[in-house]
Amino acid sequence: MKLRTLALAAAVSLMGTTAYADCAFENTQEVTMLSAGFEAWKAVTDAMAECGMVAAELDQEFREKQPEAFAADPSLYQLGGVSNGTLTPLLNAGTIRPLDDLVEQYGQNLNPNQLIRVDGQIMAIAMMVNTQHLMYRNDIFADLGLEVPTSYDEVLEVAAAIQEAGVVDYPLGATMAAGWNLAQDFNNMFLGFGGTFVNDDNTPNINTEAGMNALEMMAALTEYMDPEYLTSDSTYVQQQFQQGKIAMANLWASRAGAMNDEAESQVVGLVSGAAAPVAMEGGAPATTIWWDGIVVAANISDEEAENAFRVAMEGLDTEMVTSNNDAAIWLIEGFEPGALAEGAIATAVAGPAPYPSTTQMGLMHSAIGNNVADFLTGAATAEATLQAIEADYTTAAEEAGLL
Amino acid sequence: MKFRTFAAFVGPSLLLMMIFIAAPLVSVLWQSFHLTQNVFETVETERCTPGFPNAVCETITVDRPVLDENGEIQTVTSFVGWQSYSRVLDPDALGAAISSGDWWSILNIDFWGALRFTLTFTLVTLPLVIGVGLLIAITVNNAVKTIRGPAIFISLLPFIITPVIGALSIRWLFVGDGILTALMESWSGQDIAMFAQGWTIELLMMFYRVWHVAPFAFVIFYAGLQTVNMDTLESAIIDGASRFERLRYVIVPHLMPLIVFIALIHLMDSYRVFEEVIGFRSEAHRISLQWLTFDYLTPDDSGNRSVSRASASSMLTMVGIVILLVPLLRRTWRDHKGS
Amino acid sequence: MSSIPRAMQQPLGLKFASYGFLAFWCLIAAFPIFWVAVMSVKTPVDAFASSPLDVVFGPRTLGNGDGMSVFSILLLLTLLVLTYRVGARHLGKWVEQFSPPGLVIIGWIIGSIIFAIGAAFLMFGIYPFVVDLIDPILGPLGRPVLGLTTEHYQAVWVDNEFYTNFLNSMLVTAGVVTISLTVGTLAGYGLARSGSNLAFWLLIMALIFRALPHSVLVTGYLPAFINSAEFLEPILGESAPTLYGQPWAVIVVLVSINQPFTIWMLRSFFQNIPSELDEAARVDGCSHFGAFRRVIMPVMWPGVITTGLFSFLLAYNDYLVTALLLDQQNQTMVPAITGYFNRETTTTDQVEAVAAAVSIIAPLFLLVMVFQRQIVSGLTAGAVKG
Repeated sequence: MKLRTLALAAAVSLMGTTAYADCAFENTQEVTMLSAGFEAWKAVTDAMAECGMVAAELDQEFREKQPEAFAADPSLYQLGGVSNGTLTPLLNAGTIRPLDDLVEQYGQNLNPNQLIRVDGQIMAIAMMVNTQHLMYRNDIFADLGLEVPTSYDEVLEVAAAIQEAGVVDYPLGATMAAGWNLAQDFNNMFLGFGGTFVNDDNTPNINTEAGMNALEMMAALTEYMDPEYLTSDSTYVQQQFQQGKIAMANLWASRAGAMNDEAESQVVGLVSGAAAPVAMEGGAPATTIWWDGIVVAANISDEEAENAFRVAMEGLDTEMVTSNNDAAIWLIEGFEPGALAEGAIATAVAGPAPYPSTTQMGLMHSAIGNNVADFLTGAATAEATLQAIEADYTTAAEEAGLL
Repeated sequence: MKFRTFAAFVGPSLLLMMIFIAAPLVSVLWQSFHLTQNVFETVETERCTPGFPNAVCETITVDRPVLDENGEIQTVTSFVGWQSYSRVLDPDALGAAISSGDWWSILNIDFWGALRFTLTFTLVTLPLVIGVGLLIAITVNNAVKTIRGPAIFISLLPFIITPVIGALSIRWLFVGDGILTALMESWSGQDIAMFAQGWTIELLMMFYRVWHVAPFAFVIFYAGLQTVNMDTLESAIIDGASRFERLRYVIVPHLMPLIVFIALIHLMDSYRVFEEVIGFRSEAHRISLQWLTFDYLTPDDSGNRSVSRASASSMLTMVGIVILLVPLLRRTWRDHKGS
Repeated sequence: MSSIPRAMQQPLGLKFASYGFLAFWCLIAAFPIFWVAVMSVKTPVDAFASSPLDVVFGPRTLGNGDGMSVFSILLLLTLLVLTYRVGARHLGKWVEQFSPPGLVIIGWIIGSIIFAIGAAFLMFGIYPFVVDLIDPILGPLGRPVLGLTTEHYQAVWVDNEFYTNFLNSMLVTAGVVTISLTVGTLAGYGLARSGSNLAFWLLIMALIFRALPHSVLVTGYLPAFINSAEFLEPILGESAPTLYGQPWAVIVVLVSINQPFTIWMLRSFFQNIPSELDEAARVDGCSHFGAFRRVIMPVMWPGVITTGLFSFLLAYNDYLVTALLLDQQNQTMVPAITGYFNRETTTTDQVEAVAAAVSIIAPLFLLVMVFQRQIVSGLTAGAVKG
């Protein structure tokens, strides 16, 4: 409203562009990149842009565009941002190049942990890991004298106690929006109960005890949630936390920073992280480990690839991490885990399964996402739901040529 | 008009429609009867991924597509007849549901559930859009001149705003403790969650569609009311026709071609209902036919998509629309013959 | 219609019901949009507060020192009413008065642009300046009472460079409207004047084309657009373009998808222009095209303006086609804001998205303000009889 603030904003944004334009070299060739659009990618691409001539696209349709664009000759983009899930189509189509030479030449600052190897060749450079883990309101737990739960049975007990005390609207929040999110929650629980998704001959293996247990546990948890849980995605759960409406949730590590954002949150300093609970006695935490990283297209010239890789390294340097420390759990040298990162690191150390990134898993993920909601709304029994998942998966796998 | 002149006038438009609508349509038809599959090989592979504190390497067997000599994925395309259609329609599950006598379980089959919702949505909103549109048109027409302009302006707003934004703005009023939900809660004294069960979401979706389209019907009807023949109306009054009879026997017949026009457009658009499913995130409770097609086409993380089933389901959607349109098309045909 | 015959005058009860319904409808029509506008000027905590009063008055926003005084609220309301009156009542007269005969359409375009720029300058240039100047000397009337901040608009337009999306939207929309009307008027005229069965079946075919689900069409375009350089090379040689990301390619796609509706609409306008007019011209020795240019073009503008507005809305509001076929440099506004919602959003991102949404609908407001009379009179002249 005030002119002053407008002028101030303009001045600040001007300073922003000049203040830290330090890149190790001056880039003279255009570098193009396509990635998903979240905070960490924004930090990395902004750091790359300091070298000049960088056109980075953070596109919400990247899942659809990336395989096509990298398959074109020449590739429409030189660099791609992928996660362990979206690496698969590029790897399958052979549209990304091995990076061993480039890493040897320009990757001195990379940590061995960052190198994603497939059959010994480096195919991608990871920059961060992400995992769903337990976040909870430390003030509520202290007031009610509750222990931080380490298993889902304890989560239910604690949730009942919080419900009883009536201090928040809903004891639990969950990323259970129908589709991808809901399937991911099922995956966590299913793996936590020791399930494996597909047999060696690619037939589904969901209709098992682990599947039943996973569904039943999910249904039990929903008793303590906002009844609109089937539309609640990560942003919604994060907001519920910020507005003090929930006391616990199994939420993505990349969301932790927002809890202490003064401008948005009413619970600054009141949220702590802990390892993701286990689903059964002696099991690994019921969650999966994800990473995000950079790949280089195969269908471009070697010089372009070299130049693009150098620019990418500038985006993944320590300087970027120090100025964006809380945006992610970085794998890059110089990352200082803050208080909110503790939960994610405790989870990772306990060694849950990495998300199984295969063609079959992609089909399975969709089949789960389309069917679990029917069980939770009561439209289908657990048995029928698992059968429907298997049937959907089988149809899709036959169609894809896997069965 | 000679054929050549006619062709010259219509040509550019026809060419565009042929390239960008008819050609894709033909390819959709073709794909619905064919299946393109990748050729897979099973290989042992070692993968290293980040772990704490050190990278984790494991050897797994994966199926990976075979690449041909050009470095492209080898595919096999085969004619599969009605297979994709039958996978979409799922007659086995349908038969099982019918013979078990459990009619509700039919709606758990994606296609039939989507068809049920799409049809209900289309047929319930149709009379509402026409009725509400007509009502607004008549009341605006009745109003004194000075407020007609602002009334038209405000009435048109729901129609012009971007559908995605419109749906979201309605959603925000109701989601969680949105202000209208809070209002209803304080009236009823109950805890209300509008997005927790299917029927409330369905109601909201219908409300949104009527809110969004009724202004279109309104502006067409309002324009139509300006051309009502005053002489006919006056002679109806002299004949002693009541207000309702004048509406029923003079105004509505005059507007009939417009009602047909609105119905035609509305049937087509609402049978393709899609934005509401996305905007209201109703996938868990209600899906529509176009959403089903969209879902088949959306690639998963590994890049798989069911092009054949998507083609089959979109052909079925088209057939559905054509069936709904038949009565209206026959009317248009009679008019054409008559003129 | 100026003097209503006595027998048609309504009893008080009916009048009351009629006005009551109209008021109720206007409330329903405007409220969600009003609410979105209110949310866009609050801090995230206020915007998503559960108490409606908090959302309206914005205590947190006010606490940050951003607010409107009673004086500035009154001034804003006055300006809004003034803008509406100029746009809806006077602009049309001025355009008709000042534009040379035959160039009314250009007069409209220039008039609307001047009006839009004027309105924007008034709201964002003069208004804050006046408020800044006068508020401090007004005492209690100048003290902020209503929380309001424009920081999200600054973030959207300045930091996130939303103006590039705005310009892209304008380019795509202008292209679609122009080409769509050019191609559509020709076809509409041809179809209206040919009574043949072929014409009828073409119209039916167009109807069925309109029924095709868009998601199928669009997904089919993507691989073809990305690889177009390869398979156009035999025809166009070295200069074969990659269609993906090109605004003009998207314009052509949108024009095609929109053709069925356009030709139906325009055909019914032309049917209401007596064919004796062009037959007379033909007797005088004009060709069909000559008759079209000399006789039909001067009288077809009401229909063309109305159809053009529908094309405008379609192109401006499109999401599916533009989201998939344009890259980020050329992205239009509607897909750009879903980026705010779909990426891992923070609450601030969401309020910024709301501000972006309001920014998108503001030009549509001005458009309807200026053209509502033309929409009604255009429809009255055409489609309503067809």
